[in-house]
Amino acid sequence: MSHMKELTKGIFKENPTFIIMLGMCPTLGVTTQVFNAFGMGASVMFVLLGSNIFISALRKIIPDSIRIPAYIVVIASFVTIVEMVLHAFVPAVFNALGVYLPLIVVNCIILGRAEAFANKNTVLDSALDAIGMGIGFTLALSLIAAIREIFGAGTITLFNLSETQRLVITIPGLSESPVRVLTLAAGALLVMGYLKAFFTWKTEHRKNTEGGKA
Amino acid sequence: MKQYLKVAFTLFAICAVASILLAAINQITAPRIAYNTQQATIATLEAVSGGYEQGEQRPGNGENVNYVVPLYDGQEIAGYILELTTSGYGGEIVMATSYDTQGAVIASKIMSDSETPGLGKNAEESWYMDMFTGLGSDRPLPESKNDLADPSLVSGASVTFNGVSSAIRAGSEYVRSLGGR
Repeated sequence: MSHMKELTKGIFKENPTFIIMLGMCPTLGVTTQVFNAFGMGASVMFVLLGSNIFISALRKIIPDSIRIPAYIVVIASFVTIVEMVLHAFVPAVFNALGVYLPLIVVNCIILGRAEAFANKNTVLDSALDAIGMGIGFTLALSLIAAIREIFGAGTITLFNLSETQRLVITIPGLSESPVRVLTLAAGALLVMGYLKAFFTWKTEHRKNTEGGKA
Repeated sequence: MKQYLKVAFTLFAICAVASILLAAINQITAPRIAYNTQQATIATLEAVSGGYEQGEQRPGNGENVNYVVPLYDGQEIAGYILELTTSGYGGEIVMATSYDTQGAVIASKIMSDSETPGLGKNAEESWYMDMFTGLGSDRPLPESKNDLADPSLVSGASVTFNGVSSAIRAGSEYVRSLGGR
């Protein structure tokens, strides 16, 4: 597979959220505001990139019998680095992400890509895979968050560090009478279900079209 | 045996490198985090002081009141700031709440929490804490979201609301027990 395909496959064809269905906990939990989706996506992309590069570079050194604990150590270290750096230099983002930041350690996308890709491929391909998967994850989170926030609260929060550092677009009509259930846990499952159905239909449709041409 | 030693050494080496890296980053970030925390505490105490002069910090009750800062209007004690600890949905919530000597809330602000963004984290907003302002003396503090004029404001975050509300009520009782001293 070409380098470009490694980069782009995570965005649609193997999207971690809608196709591979990994990392569902932060996907459902953090998508109440668009800004949270950006923050979570960026943090996951950094950890994914760092862990994929390290695991790929060490793939011939790490014995097969201890690969999972070794991957966990690498991933947990990167998450701790992100936590410490954000807490020290961007405390507002650290506070905004709250409990979801340490939970990146158990995000299945990161361990999944380490196990399924990085330990079998070169450093360059693993880095491209991480960037592609990170972009795919961020876009998926942003799409779910946008739907939930627009219809559930009538707003789009693009930037939210504090009450004085905030950029929120208010949608007239929806903000006065929003579909409040969409901001709750049930709403997250509903939106995720409909989007998953759409992406499954789209994938099947493409397969059928390609099959028809052949 | 040699194989086991090789595996153990490899895992040990990975852990050692990770520990050294984390220690180095902690060395850089720890002073900055401590400074940020100190500045945030000073700013929060100032924000909830209601314009009164802050006195010397005293120890709390060793339970949910961490410390007490008396507020002075000239020579008279006009109220107190309490640092309160409570439990929310995502773990511990630390907040600073100021009261007059009768136990009515002057102002309140969250200092740290791990609540869900968009739901429990709304407790960090000023409108959230405004729901408690002026209550606790003549008018009672809300015990549940059903006591609010608009319970939908805290929909999906009842655990956070109950935690914040119970801490503010406990603080109000504690202030009344001080008797203006």
